[in-house]
Amino acid sequence: MHGEYKIPGGKLVVVDLNVTDGALRDVVLSGDFFLEPAEALEWMAAALEGLPADTPVETIAERVREAAAHAELLGITPEGVAEAVRRALQGGTQ
Amino acid sequence: MSTQPSSSWRAYDWQLIRDAPIAPVMHMALDEALLEEVAAGRRKPTLRIWEWAASAVVIGRFQSLRNEVDLEGARRHGVQVVRRITGGGAMFIEPGNTITYSIYAPVELVAGMSMVESYAFFDRWVLDALASLGVEAWYQPINDITSAAGKIGGAAQTRRNGAVLHHVTMAYDIDSAKMVEVLRIGREKLSDKGIASAAKRVDPLRRQTGLPREAIIERMIDTFRAQHGLTDSAIKPEEWQAAERLVETKFGTEEWLRAVP
Repeated sequence: MHGEYKIPGGKLVVVDLNVTDGALRDVVLSGDFFLEPAEALEWMAAALEGLPADTPVETIAERVREAAAHAELLGITPEGVAEAVRRALQGGTQ
Repeated sequence: MSTQPSSSWRAYDWQLIRDAPIAPVMHMALDEALLEEVAAGRRKPTLRIWEWAASAVVIGRFQSLRNEVDLEGARRHGVQVVRRITGGGAMFIEPGNTITYSIYAPVELVAGMSMVESYAFFDRWVLDALASLGVEAWYQPINDITSAAGKIGGAAQTRRNGAVLHHVTMAYDIDSAKMVEVLRIGREKLSDKGIASAAKRVDPLRRQTGLPREAIIERMIDTFRAQHGLTDSAIKPEEWQAAERLVETKFGTEEWLRAVP
């Protein structure tokens, strides 16, 4: 499943994932945003791995925020990641 | 822009590197190698002007290879695909069609600035150079150099051990038909740009200035030199060796290219 969200005034956030037994699996987060350090990409993706597919969008954003607490984010927000996840779960944007 | 040229540029003995065309993957490696050298204090702050030996798609550190690149289209057109160490978006490069440069600087140069402010700060001299050629360009946050007629270029940064890499690619000319065959440009990305065609988003410097690419680069170098000072320099043998090692161990590997599949 594939979801994209262009953050207003920011960058494109893309989420690719599978849902197995009601949980998010194989989550890949990508886009043309900026992160320091680069490892924060994996921190955020790992925070989504295994989440129930019916997790509220606010909770998803909170998990991402915690995972990225020690990173600098530019053009990407936890809310934006959550929205891309929501879109992926809804069947994606393309 | 509110960001004014800072006198702190003058605190450094800026070095200029202009070298012969090299392979795209070597450019990726040189950026990391030279950033490390400046971070370690073995190299003075440096401006490097790139020349490309081959066509390339350069994707951002966090971009998905399969989402951004039409690998079959790239193969068909002989376009090499590489991943860089900075974030930001995919660029389609043809030798002679782009103007690319890197700045390697101590982080102190942009101390006290937000990331967004530092982007505009690093390219202020370029906007001045373009203005002197009759191109009214400005910074569109976060990282675009744009003009009334369309986008001109984009910047990207990364920081490491007290040094910052800021690099920029500007379009001198563009083969839009080929570009859409090697890049996948989704509708979502264009959703808040107000225009439907990726090609229409870019207005290259050739059309805007009518000047040869070389003349624009010369004006850029003259402007940097006048504002900040600039000493001619070259890539050292040990820097070449470090970059070659990075091609073998990182930038030339499938693992790196597919770091985000």
